[in-house]
Amino acid sequence: MKLIRFILPLMLLLPVMADAQCRAFTKNKCLPLLDGYVQNENYNSAVLVPGDEAELLLTFYAGKEYRVVVNAHPVLGDVEFEVVDTNDQQIYNNKNAENKTIFDFKMSNTQQLIVKVRVPKQEAAIQPEGCVTVLVGFKDAK
Amino acid sequence: MRKLKWMKPTIFAFGFVAVLSSCETGGSNSNTQAVKPNLDSLELAKQEELKKIFFSIPAPMEMAALIKDAGFKFDPAMLNNVENASKYTGELKQAVNLGVFGADLSYSSMFDEKQKSVDYLAAAQKLARQMGVDDALKNDMLERLQNNQDSRDSLLAIVSEAYTDLNGYLKENNRVEVSALVISGGWIEALYLSTKYSAGNDQIKKRIAEQKYSLDELIKYFDKFGEMESLKEMKADLLSLQKLYAEATTTAPGATTTSKDAKGTVVIGNSASVSLSDETLKKIETLVTQIRSKYIA
Repeated sequence: MKLIRFILPLMLLLPVMADAQCRAFTKNKCLPLLDGYVQNENYNSAVLVPGDEAELLLTFYAGKEYRVVVNAHPVLGDVEFEVVDTNDQQIYNNKNAENKTIFDFKMSNTQQLIVKVRVPKQEAAIQPEGCVTVLVGFKDAK
Repeated sequence: MRKLKWMKPTIFAFGFVAVLSSCETGGSNSNTQAVKPNLDSLELAKQEELKKIFFSIPAPMEMAALIKDAGFKFDPAMLNNVENASKYTGELKQAVNLGVFGADLSYSSMFDEKQKSVDYLAAAQKLARQMGVDDALKNDMLERLQNNQDSRDSLLAIVSEAYTDLNGYLKENNRVEVSALVISGGWIEALYLSTKYSAGNDQIKKRIAEQKYSLDELIKYFDKFGEMESLKEMKADLLSLQKLYAEATTTAPGATTTSKDAKGTVVIGNSASVSLSDETLKKIETLVTQIRSKYIA
């Protein structure tokens, strides 16, 4: 019981610490990738492990140029990201673009798109975990 | 394969606590089968926990950009008065107005109104302090904003950072329901501002109609909290707006096409569209003005 009393608060703190790391990762390693774009207030960052999948539904507006950034801690390997429409029709997959972490595009009409992220599986006995961040920026007319 | 909705860390805590609980039970019960955690229900609980945290935020900054690109002038009279920050008491009004000030900050920074941006960040910080989430908006951010008086890009970058810090902090500290109110406040303010610029501007009218997507997502987010008391009033307000948005004319997306423009940029398009009649637009303007007035009063 003593051990539990010691470990429990520590373990409850761990997610907060991991999240704080993700915030720092986002600010230091991901926001700079939006250089030349204005971030659209979306902050999505999570600690993922090999084999995890995540997805995010976003609205993109007609006539705007966008950049989607999907950046992961190197320990997770080459994270795959895919952009599909709401009918699951694939529009982009970074596997076909040398695992790039950014995708730039323009919208001819307003529509919702889904960003899907897949962390590759690893064979190692101890599975790593790391932050994955998705950011969206739009080109500012100035 | 598991399908995760942001965010993961909460799962670890939940899972670990659940495992610890089952270990404790195990100590007083020799029947190992009885103390085995039910993995299916644990997994379901994890998924539910994750769903509460996942969300795409409607972006006031994009609405502000559209207003600016349409050639309109900055009008501070339309924004919430920063002096109001000290009069808001109670979590509901404080959180909603934190979102309102955030949207006003986006609007000011998009128009390169540096002093106004400083004023709105200061007002947001004041509210964050009153709410006990002052770590969410670091004090040095205001200094940096004041020291970056010449560069609009720096101004926008600092505002982006402020959003990252605020949203990140609320997630880290499991105050996602507060985050829902902040996001709603920002969305309402951006919708209110755009309706004020919509007369005679078809592009802004269209963008107001397209807020149907954001509103539907926002309400789905609220649904994940069940009947949480602190969210009831805002949810009811959002539902009343959704009722008006149900009058919109929508066209199904159809197949998406991609092509490349002269610069080689990928251009994405399909047949999706949403529009509102002038009558419905007027009703939305009236209702969003009423809702906003109630919260900023």
